[in-house]
Amino acid sequence: MENFIPKFNYIVVVILMMTGLWSMLAQNNLIKKCIGMAIFQTGIILFFISIGAKNDALIPILTETANHTYPDPDVDKITNPLTQILMLTAIVVGVATLGVGLALAQKVFQQHNSFDEDEILNNQTK
Amino acid sequence: MPELPIWQYDTLFLALALLFGITALAMQNLMGAAIVFGAYSFLMCLIWTTMGAVDVAFTEAAVGAGVSTVFIFATIYNTGVCAKPKTPRVAFKLSTGLVALGTGAFILSALPDFPNWGDPQSPVNSTISPYYIEHTIRDAHVPNIVTTVLADYRGFDTLLETAVVFIACIAIYSILRTDAAKLKVTEPDIVTPPPAYDPTDSLIIRQASRIMVPFMQIFALYVIAHGHYSPGGGFQGGVILGASIILLCISFDLKYVLRQWTEKKIMLLTALGVLIYAAVGLACMIMGGEFLNYKVLNPLLPGDEAYARSHSILLVEIGVGMTVMFSMIGIYINLASNGRFDRGL
Repeated sequence: MENFIPKFNYIVVVILMMTGLWSMLAQNNLIKKCIGMAIFQTGIILFFISIGAKNDALIPILTETANHTYPDPDVDKITNPLTQILMLTAIVVGVATLGVGLALAQKVFQQHNSFDEDEILNNQTK
Repeated sequence: MPELPIWQYDTLFLALALLFGITALAMQNLMGAAIVFGAYSFLMCLIWTTMGAVDVAFTEAAVGAGVSTVFIFATIYNTGVCAKPKTPRVAFKLSTGLVALGTGAFILSALPDFPNWGDPQSPVNSTISPYYIEHTIRDAHVPNIVTTVLADYRGFDTLLETAVVFIACIAIYSILRTDAAKLKVTEPDIVTPPPAYDPTDSLIIRQASRIMVPFMQIFALYVIAHGHYSPGGGFQGGVILGASIILLCISFDLKYVLRQWTEKKIMLLTALGVLIYAAVGLACMIMGGEFLNYKVLNPLLPGDEAYARSHSILLVEIGVGMTVMFSMIGIYINLASNGRFDRGL
């Protein structure tokens, strides 16, 4: 148990990522595939945020003292900002790529009148 | 008993997030799946807040829970609503399940080597990030460390990420955009039967959103401008600005918005955001420094060298905000009108 608890987040990360991967592989519906991709992505973001977290740490915004100066920050008491900025941009890029995925799905729908992979394949072989 | 490195709510939130994620994938109704996915994003937001990642949580609340749900909605609106229940292909699903399980087990086999959660001495926390935490206030007079790292120390990274958003927007235009005038109007009536009750006529919705939109926009401008001192910045503010226009598109109709924001304007302003960012970098080169080395802009901006960096970060954030705002609007209009720019959700 003592080995398990400090790694608990990573286990959830792997479960989330594999749920997303399975959904991308096995779901028939194209929209479900896009949602699966987004879930895979949140799994990775959760991983990055988890490795950047520190026990009893504050948010990465420094606080001013009464005489308008900033004291030298205690590195161990401030959460890692680097992993956060990497993930911040990843989220915004993620929504843009989700948009591209949805646009492709719509284009496929215009052509085949279905989101279902089997129906699309049947349509093509006809 | 040793002190547990788990924040009290974390386990609960993670269990709920797993449940919501799996529910979203299991639902037959795609609208429902989109809603549950939005709830899942909000839970993720809470998890990240408990781990001290406030900027990330803010972005996820605006992007993951807000805009991406609307994007999925817009796509479903143009098409069917339900995922058809199919004859289950058990062998295929099992085999892909085995692939996923195998990959998961392979990753989990490395679990003992991962650093303990919340360990300040882990490799990721002890190599480069202490430099950022210690130097940000001296280098740029910006208390929000995330903003400094985002726009200054790792400015290249953010410039290219903004470019990726811009390119994704262009990709969507090239995939979906068609000229409504040239298109013979045929299939849309089969795909989307006209609703019995037209919500765009609702007086309450129109007046409520008319009141809300200016406040949303003021808040978004505040988020961009105050990103130096509080969670926020160009990405979050840009998404909220985009969402305010998307709200207008939904509560009125697309034509009403396109009268103000023509397609040409939207495209030009999307590109202008990236250009502002790159222009700040070029100005640094003209002043004799490296690309995006804001220190050399000191003669042009008030204050000392550190304030020059602080002000340049604001300029850069404005560029990011513009690109993100107008690409969100462009992506939404394309998805909602099926690339015809005539009528939307």
